[in-house]
Amino acid sequence: MSGADKPFTFRGKYLLLGVLAAYTVLFVFNPDAGMAALRKSAGVAVKILPVIAGVIVFTALLNFFLQPRQVVRHLGGKSGFKAWIWALLAGILSHGPMYIWYPTLEELRRHGMRDGLIVTVFAARVIKIPPLPLMIGYFGLHFTLVLSFYILAGALIQGWLMEKLEHNR
Amino acid sequence: MCLPGMNAIDGEEMPNKTGAASRQRPGFFKVLKKSALSFAAMMPMLAGVIALVGLFQVLVTPKMLAALFHGAPLLDTLTGAFAGAAGVGSPIVSYLLGGELLEQGISLFAVTAFVLSWVSLGFIQLPAEVEAFGVRFTLLRNLLAFVFTILIATATPLTLRLF
Repeated sequence: MSGADKPFTFRGKYLLLGVLAAYTVLFVFNPDAGMAALRKSAGVAVKILPVIAGVIVFTALLNFFLQPRQVVRHLGGKSGFKAWIWALLAGILSHGPMYIWYPTLEELRRHGMRDGLIVTVFAARVIKIPPLPLMIGYFGLHFTLVLSFYILAGALIQGWLMEKLEHNR
Repeated sequence: MCLPGMNAIDGEEMPNKTGAASRQRPGFFKVLKKSALSFAAMMPMLAGVIALVGLFQVLVTPKMLAALFHGAPLLDTLTGAFAGAAGVGSPIVSYLLGGELLEQGISLFAVTAFVLSWVSLGFIQLPAEVEAFGVRFTLLRNLLAFVFTILIATATPLTLRLF
């Protein structure tokens, strides 16, 4: 994908400043909790760094092989049933926390991906294949099967509803 | 190593005789650099969300979560959805906490809502979502996700009762 280049600017500066302010308050009133929170955050950062690296390479591969017109054809306004299946699969197979996928999906959206499909990707993310055996262990096979069915159906309906809401703007 | 039509140093495209396709498509390393830069621009946002995750994991304990439920299925389902949306971490953590809540007698409606909203909703990632997709998209997506969390959390245990 080529698309118009955006000027480089840091995003989320105010969020980071707000969080730093919250940490400052916590350190003043409860330094032990502040240190524990910092350690937890460092643990999360170390855990997701390889995932971020993977997502960067994945986004580059998408941008390299997919031209904007292909994005529009496969995921844009006139894309068909297959696009919904791709969105479901992308949601199920996407690894790591939701927020690390924002730049990739934002990029695809900028090149024409429909909002309904993005909503479906996010909704289908509730199903994660690696922890499924654990879910079966805790809640049973029937629960897992019924819940997974409703999640997938719900993901498609949410995407469809999003498109209806967008059309009624 | 460099791909055809690409400058070995910085991945810039080189003029060659391969035609229009290679003139239009930038080299892979240039695309990779652009992709890395777009993530670098999001770093304050990602750092903010990661720092918030640590903060919530320390300040919100499983005991505090269990104390939110009162035994009324409808109210507990709503509570489960809000508690899950406030929770952060991998889905596995939500299963462990959900299992603990079930053992403490919390209804399956509430626990299902909790597990669902843990992944599909997230208060702490809202600012990042707004930054990436805009206020309108974020509001509509989270509203839809919340409504469907309640619907699925109600439908799943009811369906299980039929079998």
